[in-house]
Amino acid sequence: MAMRRSTALLFFRRMRIPLIVLISAYSIATIGFTLMPGVDDDGNPWRMSVFDAFYVVSYTGSTIGFGEVPYEFTKAQRLWTMVSIYLTVIAWLFSIGSIISLMQDPAFAQAMRGARFRRAVRNYDQPFYLLCGFGDTGRLLATTLSELRHPVVVIDDTPAKIEALSVETFRAPVHGFCMDATLPENLLMAGLQNRWCMGVLAATADDRVNLKIAVTARLLNQRSAVYARADEASVADNMRSFDTAHVVNPAEEFVHRLRLLLTRPHFYRLYQWLRSSPDGDIPDVPQPPKGRWVLCGFGRFGQAVYRMLRELEVEVTVIEENAAIEGLPEGTIAGRGTQAETLKAAGIEDAVGILATTRDDVDNLSILITARELNEDLFCAAVANRWSSGPLFHAAMPHFVGQPGELIAGTIISHIRSPLLSHLFRRLEEVDDEVAAELLERIAPNPDQAQQPEFFTVRLSKKRAPALHWLQKNGFDIEVSLFQRHPTRPGVQVPVEVLMLSRGDDDRLLPDGATRLESGDRLLVACPPALAGRMRGLVESEAAAYQALTGRELHRSWLLNKLIPGAPAPGGQDS
Amino acid sequence: MNMSKVIFGFFVLLALTLNFGFFLGEIDNPAHHNVYELFAALIVGLIATIMKLGERSQMSAMLLASSLVVDLHLLAAVIVWVLSVHVLEVGLTPAVMASIVSLSGGALLANLLSVVLLTMETAGFSR
Repeated sequence: MAMRRSTALLFFRRMRIPLIVLISAYSIATIGFTLMPGVDDDGNPWRMSVFDAFYVVSYTGSTIGFGEVPYEFTKAQRLWTMVSIYLTVIAWLFSIGSIISLMQDPAFAQAMRGARFRRAVRNYDQPFYLLCGFGDTGRLLATTLSELRHPVVVIDDTPAKIEALSVETFRAPVHGFCMDATLPENLLMAGLQNRWCMGVLAATADDRVNLKIAVTARLLNQRSAVYARADEASVADNMRSFDTAHVVNPAEEFVHRLRLLLTRPHFYRLYQWLRSSPDGDIPDVPQPPKGRWVLCGFGRFGQAVYRMLRELEVEVTVIEENAAIEGLPEGTIAGRGTQAETLKAAGIEDAVGILATTRDDVDNLSILITARELNEDLFCAAVANRWSSGPLFHAAMPHFVGQPGELIAGTIISHIRSPLLSHLFRRLEEVDDEVAAELLERIAPNPDQAQQPEFFTVRLSKKRAPALHWLQKNGFDIEVSLFQRHPTRPGVQVPVEVLMLSRGDDDRLLPDGATRLESGDRLLVACPPALAGRMRGLVESEAAAYQALTGRELHRSWLLNKLIPGAPAPGGQDS
Repeated sequence: MNMSKVIFGFFVLLALTLNFGFFLGEIDNPAHHNVYELFAALIVGLIATIMKLGERSQMSAMLLASSLVVDLHLLAAVIVWVLSVHVLEVGLTPAVMASIVSLSGGALLANLLSVVLLTMETAGFSR
């Protein structure tokens, strides 16, 4: 309560003395005028009334100056006019100066911004996300979430980043405020306990900060999902231990995608596509070469890549400048990969691929260019540390590039769009790559101009899918093919795909159209964005679901008559 | 002794006494009610209001409210005075004087409440 009123309080406290000075100056000047002896036009002694005096002071004090009214002033009145001019003008200057200095006071400006921010957050009436950290990752997350029409509340402790945020345009409201995200009270101020807070995204560059945010969010709002970035594996494990919805480790994610690229080309295409920003393209079918790789840089990314390649029994030669790193494999070439000699020493001429994973983007680019000059058939993969170097990497055309911000944002966004996608990917790991190819073919028959589908997680329960529940209750059989049926033209299939059916612990990929659905089933449905409204209607509106199932319109009164004596006849459906 | 408390109490009390001074006398006799006293009561009332702005305690909310009532009453009285004497030029007839004084009587009550509240708060504080 005291926090909320602080701006008004601060204003009045600071304005108290200027206002009192102003009132005193005016009253002294007014009284003085009524006491000064004057004469009227006929020369009779005359004195101003309080009203006349206040009138004169009012126009004198504001420097308007109508002249001497109602009668010409006597010397005594003129003397007092001079006194009151200086008195009131100085009082005005003093109070206006106080107001201006108060407005410019950083503490006051901060309090004003805080009040505006709190008001904005309090007035949300639709699901929003709370984003902590506005670096590369944060910016991508905010942009994508606003594209998905979710308002975002951004907090970051760097004023410059929040200022940059305020001049960008977003499609949904994005409110930024500069404060320390590690303090629980700040997260609360940013709407952590607001009933519309759907999720908290901890995307700062500091693992400790992300961990603190994740813990705070978990404890103070059980209902909102927590998505966090963790660079250290130990921090990631720590976060997973307290039920964080999704933890992304950029190095792990990079290696995971690289592994898919090397082992499961179609799954890689699907994964890379669905886990990048919604306007991303489907990558071409990768054709990774077999043979020896050269890995430049043995930092966090390099080490993870090295472990993965060794697991795949791929031969790797490491180039690393810093010989003090623990766990450097034998045969490591000391030096920088940017120099041709070093690359030659690592045998670049008869290697099949080069991996540039140093912490410096210019080095990585230089490595790619130099290596390609020595051996133009190389398969090139690189880490783009900063999002701003994206265009350079794009121009250098490596076969695979991972940008930590994009990796994190893409993964978190795909999780937000449908939590079942993670199940889908986990299940795809266990089956042949052909399934991934078929799945990709179904949702993107034309990979060159494919648009990312809209994902729906349909849960067959009374609360989440009332229409389907109602149909089931009335004895209708619901099959997977229901979702593909055209509402008015029987026999016509709409391009809606049921990608996965989860029943208990069993995740069935691409279930057969004739599969009967049971209560409690969860379905991952992909449909073109244009059909999203229809899909929603099918799940929520009894009339729409009934029509899709039977091909007949639902006449409420007729049906009610039929319903009350007995259940509607499931046998009566049109084919 | 807290100097700011003294000043605060001074203004609240002065607003009451000036108001009382103006109110005292026959209700419709202009000779008993001085225009300067009304003016002073209004000015001191305004200053007291500003002093109360920005105070935090629960009691101060009530103090501020009563102060605003005082200002409203006295402003109304002043407006009646100005209208009848300078604009409509009917002069201070007994009817006009009576309405001015009765308005200031309302302000007097609110001022009294202010002083009572302030005394209560001070008494509660010292306990």
